[in-house]
Amino acid sequence: MLTRNRTVFTQLGTDAIEKGLADPQLSAFYESMMSSSGLVSEKLREHMPYLSLCSDKIDNLTPPPIFYVGRRSSQRILFGEEWAMQHDEELRTPDPELEHASAEAYRYALEEQPYYGYARTRLNVGGKILDIAFERLIVALRPTPNSDRRFCAYFGVIQDLQQL
Amino acid sequence: MQMSPYFKSAEYVHEHVQPEDRELATLKSEVDKHNLTEMWDMILTLDYEVNNVRELSRETREEFCGIVSLLLKAFSK
Repeated sequence: MLTRNRTVFTQLGTDAIEKGLADPQLSAFYESMMSSSGLVSEKLREHMPYLSLCSDKIDNLTPPPIFYVGRRSSQRILFGEEWAMQHDEELRTPDPELEHASAEAYRYALEEQPYYGYARTRLNVGGKILDIAFERLIVALRPTPNSDRRFCAYFGVIQDLQQL
Repeated sequence: MQMSPYFKSAEYVHEHVQPEDRELATLKSEVDKHNLTEMWDMILTLDYEVNNVRELSRETREEFCGIVSLLLKAFSK
């Protein structure tokens, strides 16, 4: 069972990025997406390896399903290659409690504005209990100006990771 | 090759067509049907840096097919 006595999910707001308090690569991604008004452009290319992408299908309990996990993304580092490469079912993070705790950030990014926050929690990944701290930015993007499609781009930065 | 008048040419599948080509054609058809063509193009051009999926090696094409399978599951349900 997971122990949740150290769990923190805090929204810091994108002001923190603009004040220079966020990870430099995450900040570069944020500035790049803001400069293109949330539209996909060539600027996205350099950030793709660090991103996870998911749809805009959300409910109160779960974030949207993932369809793309960048080769250097924090989710691939955390959950492994095998997890990232599976495609027989909807792709979701393997910890249901993490899913539930993350859902609100995706709703905020889709319905209001980009979400930037900090989280510390314990996860059960393949039977290993991990204590993890990470910052995360979630931005809703459109593939083209006239598209009725939107999707979420997740940029996570693992700050601390320890196996208990 | 002479086609039967009762056989639609669009339904003809050449005997040397590889199974992965069929899978790719099926996925593309589903992508178009669910209005996800822009997403297909975005992944292809930004991540794989090609304009046509046939420019990908067989191994990379399989990886791309996996992403598209997830794309359909993520948006179409």
